[in-house]
Amino acid sequence: MTAWDTCALCPRLCRSACPVASGSGREASVPATIAWVLREWEHGRVSEGDARRVATLCTDCGACQTHCHIHEPLPERLRRVRAALIPFVEPQPIGEVEGDGEHVVVEVDERPVATWLAASVGRDVRRLVTSDHLGAVQMHHRAFESHRDVLAQRLGREASVVVTDGRVARVLRSAGIAFRWLHQVVTLPTDPIVGSCASPGERPMACCGGAEPLRSHHPEDARRVGERFGQRAVTSTYADGACASHLRECGLQVVDVVEVLRQEVGA
Amino acid sequence: MQNNVRSSIERLDRLAASRDLWPLGTLDGWQGRRGELPERVFWPASADEVATVLRDATREGVEVVPFGAGSGVCGGAAGRAGSWVLDTKGLDAISDVDTASWSVTAGAGVLGQHLEDHLQSQGFTLGHSPSSLACSTVGGWAAARSAGQFSSRYGAFEDMVLGLQAVSPTRGVFEVGAGGTAPDHWMDLLLGSEGTLAVITRVTMRVWPVPGARWLRGYHFRRLDDALDAMRRVVQGELHPAVLRLYDPVDTRIGGRTRPKRADGRSGLAARWLSAALARIDAAPGVKPRTLALPLALPGLLNRVASGLSSGCLLIAGWEGEAEGVEALSEEGHRILCERGADLGEEPGERWYRSRHAVSYKLMPIFERGGFADTMEVAAPWSLLPEVYRSVRAALGRTTVVMAHMSHMYPEGGCIYFSFAGRGDRDVYGQTWEAALSAVLAAGGTLSHHHGVGLLKARHAAAEIGPAIAGWRALKEDLDPDGLLNAGRVFVDAGLQAVEPSPRHPPEDHLARSASTASVEERSSVAEPSWPWRTFPGLPRWQRLPWQTPWVEVAGFVDGVFCRLGRGPRSAVGPDLRRWLAEHADSRVTWATAPAGDRWLGVGTPEQPWEVALALLRSDLRPAILTVRAGELLVGFRGPAATALGAMAARRVPGGLVSTPWRLEPLPSGPMCPCDSDDPRAAHVTTQGVFRLVEEEL
Repeated sequence: MTAWDTCALCPRLCRSACPVASGSGREASVPATIAWVLREWEHGRVSEGDARRVATLCTDCGACQTHCHIHEPLPERLRRVRAALIPFVEPQPIGEVEGDGEHVVVEVDERPVATWLAASVGRDVRRLVTSDHLGAVQMHHRAFESHRDVLAQRLGREASVVVTDGRVARVLRSAGIAFRWLHQVVTLPTDPIVGSCASPGERPMACCGGAEPLRSHHPEDARRVGERFGQRAVTSTYADGACASHLRECGLQVVDVVEVLRQEVGA
Repeated sequence: MQNNVRSSIERLDRLAASRDLWPLGTLDGWQGRRGELPERVFWPASADEVATVLRDATREGVEVVPFGAGSGVCGGAAGRAGSWVLDTKGLDAISDVDTASWSVTAGAGVLGQHLEDHLQSQGFTLGHSPSSLACSTVGGWAAARSAGQFSSRYGAFEDMVLGLQAVSPTRGVFEVGAGGTAPDHWMDLLLGSEGTLAVITRVTMRVWPVPGARWLRGYHFRRLDDALDAMRRVVQGELHPAVLRLYDPVDTRIGGRTRPKRADGRSGLAARWLSAALARIDAAPGVKPRTLALPLALPGLLNRVASGLSSGCLLIAGWEGEAEGVEALSEEGHRILCERGADLGEEPGERWYRSRHAVSYKLMPIFERGGFADTMEVAAPWSLLPEVYRSVRAALGRTTVVMAHMSHMYPEGGCIYFSFAGRGDRDVYGQTWEAALSAVLAAGGTLSHHHGVGLLKARHAAAEIGPAIAGWRALKEDLDPDGLLNAGRVFVDAGLQAVEPSPRHPPEDHLARSASTASVEERSSVAEPSWPWRTFPGLPRWQRLPWQTPWVEVAGFVDGVFCRLGRGPRSAVGPDLRRWLAEHADSRVTWATAPAGDRWLGVGTPEQPWEVALALLRSDLRPAILTVRAGELLVGFRGPAATALGAMAARRVPGGLVSTPWRLEPLPSGPMCPCDSDDPRAAHVTTQGVFRLVEEEL
């Protein structure tokens, strides 16, 4: 018996819960099918390339385990197999936290969110700049542990960390670092934010397809998942945070919380 | 490829599309046997794209296998060597509920769970709840004639279909049913054709309000036959239960669904010993794999031991719908079930309801331990059910451990669902099925109630329908003359013949027989027809209510060869060819009669009688008579709850209803079209609205 047996023999009852299977329509992306293919790989009947491709047809949202009647820990098994199949690329070093203030904003692009937030709340805000979302793509490798330790040291458990991106949020969550979303820190003149896994409120699907490893390894499928997410969402307004750029690529109208903040402070 | 339809030749996609849930495929895959893969997988996003793929397949001479979610258990959906798999999951649009006609339209690739979530968010339900709800599609339900766990109330899937859009190599995109232009009789042939005639791309279905009340209860019966008799009386009494599920003694014991007790409140000594022994074995770490292997290797012994130690069976009964009706119907049902059954309270029913979709997980440990597990669902009229049960159980029991439950109960008969597990290779698997399928035919049942045919039953299916296969071939020649669609599925004529004559039905079956051309008056001289259509087969299926059945069996000679269709109250052995047979043979028809008993007929004069009739139906009443004659509304009920239901109806009709002597009220026949409720030509009503005969029929 292998770790994949139970899922591989299941009638694929998790398919309706999986955003990738529902959005892409690919039979190969059904979580139970992924387990079946990986079982075949372990028996030498499927190539490592196919195993890598199938193991990355996933956004790691955990919906399959939640939906499963016996709660098989498939997401964790997939993380482990991805760590074995995908070469580890050293994440960018964690930079220093700059400035003073209660909040630390993790900035993921060129926009000075910390400066805008400071203008909005009327007090200093620190920033941590990252060019690779704190190394999110590598976060399931064992080698990521040391990176995570550095991160924990930099931000500290007591810091009030503010994030605008779902990939960053996942890394912080995996490191046990508490954080808040930007829209939880400031009151913005937007409709109730719905949709993204980063958001409070109703979620039409467990993931919009903007998460890893799907987005990097299967961009076309990620786009289809995003389009379907748009079809099933209850409004045309989406939170930024996790997946604004992804959803824009999918042709959806996106309210980017960071942009709302920028307009509010007149930057 | 020349066309722009999304497709893949990636090995991963071809691999995934090469399997469905046929246990033989699982057995082969588990043991490392795999054939060649399909050549390409397509994901069309529209019916036009499906037509494009079929046009190219015709040009290239490539077989096309329609594929939904691959939940079929008979090998009907798996992509085969060199074929193109046409994955319908790109056809995933769902309309809002049409609250005027109580209907919804969904693409063939919509998953059942997604459709039901969508409907429930708008206060409606399809009422279709197969255990595969989360892993099957709307198109698959139509193609294989699915049936859900609440079929006794909502009907099987073909009873829910109002219209179909489909695509064939020769006809391109066409529609049949409500609003369609294809011949009406194509509907019966497309449903259940398992992708061999056309690719179903969109389905319009009737929906119901989410039930306001649900009533579930368990009963213990000492004898299986007593429980079957009680179930028969409930459904023939027009009490319209949502669920009636009877577990045979072995399933009751092994499934552990109840703890039958003696009068003193204690289980029998042998039963207690077996339970305790199994509990001790189950509790021992590392022992389970071996303990499971042993009984699978000695199925005959285990079947005998289990039967000998078993002490009765469990029946789950349930009603759901509008609260007042549920109360009246369940009260009478409860009274009947308690005559020979012991009330076990609400807990067994609620437990079943909670776990009704989890049952499939029970098969996994069997494969994990080197065995195989499978299921077989057959149907038969009431009087044949015990013999079908005994003979099929005996056939399966030679090589497997077998248990069964009876569910999907209708006034005309019911379904037996066998679960079995054994040890051995694909030869043992094949021998097991061969014996079981032959036993079903010999006992007079139909080979499938709702799993369909696929590859598994294709030879025996051809034997069951005999020369009526010509009806399917004629449409195949029209729609797919090159035989590209799902070749080898549904019917493979291998020279087998099931030639038993039509059975004699004892009185308790409440079935009668007449010429297919007999008028309603001629039929009524034999017995009171439950549904007195003026001529057979009454109205097209999508224009009648699910419980208004026209016939059970149609039998006659085709080219000198005897043939009978409808060996059960419902069959998923390919398309429904009964209408074809009735039109192509000097045939005799078996139809349901109304048992003697209580009757209540009321007459009223509301201002808009057809509008009131529609409102009555939509208020969850299911009258045996509901029509308007000379401006008067007639509402009639049969069975033990007739008076209570009549009183209920009278309260809901403006001005009330006055009781009047029961009389036969023929139902109209012929195609109809929707009309306004005040149309003077109105002649019929369903939950979808009021209908009149089309002009040429007037």
